[in-house]
Amino acid sequence: MKFKFIGVALLCAFLMMNIVFTQFMVHQFYYENYINVLIFGGLNIVVFPLALYTYKKTKYEKA
Amino acid sequence: MPSDKNNKIPFNEDNYTHNIERNNERKLDRRGFMKTLVGAAGVFAISSLPWGMVAAKELMGLGEKEYPHKKITDVSKLAIGDAMNFKFPGDHDDAILIRLSEKKYVAYQNACTHLRCPVFWVKEEGEMICPCHHGKFDVETGVPTAGPPRRPLPEIQVKVENGAVYAVRVKRYEV
Repeated sequence: MKFKFIGVALLCAFLMMNIVFTQFMVHQFYYENYINVLIFGGLNIVVFPLALYTYKKTKYEKA
Repeated sequence: MPSDKNNKIPFNEDNYTHNIERNNERKLDRRGFMKTLVGAAGVFAISSLPWGMVAAKELMGLGEKEYPHKKITDVSKLAIGDAMNFKFPGDHDDAILIRLSEKKYVAYQNACTHLRCPVFWVKEEGEMICPCHHGKFDVETGVPTAGPPRRPLPEIQVKVENGAVYAVRVKRYEV
């Protein structure tokens, strides 16, 4: 893979994690395991600054 | 990429019908794509907040509250094997009451745990069926027995008093 696509791959991975966490969060909510809802919701929120950081680090990468 | 067309509007081009350069105007480049991904991550983060807030509220004990008992129907109006719909605990929470025998009543919130279609009691088959995707639930426990749903229907505890059936509380899931 070209070096400049590492950021894209990382961001795709983050988005995948978002989707998985959201799925867990909603299911745990309906199972009424509210601690787990908070954990996965928190993870979802933590992923956003990570994604932003990754974007800022890699937006100028050249091939 | 600088272009001689910049800042000259209308630029000198005698083509007014196909004025989108399709090869360039609509291209999503790498950085634009990354921006989209970051934005989507932000949307996910923000959309988690209400779930977290409701969960925190439930954890602080508000979820354990007992609802005011609500009369569903008179015993004489519901024959054995029949079902009826009612609302509990809120006015928008649909629920179903089924009379299984002389003394035994069961009640569930009737939103299918798959995609929240209403669940119906089919007397002839002795099953609760969600018609949307053919999910089935066990009438005794609310546990899904077939189809896409994976979680049991939330059970509503009922009690019979003075010839009437009352809804008492919504049972928590057992972990």
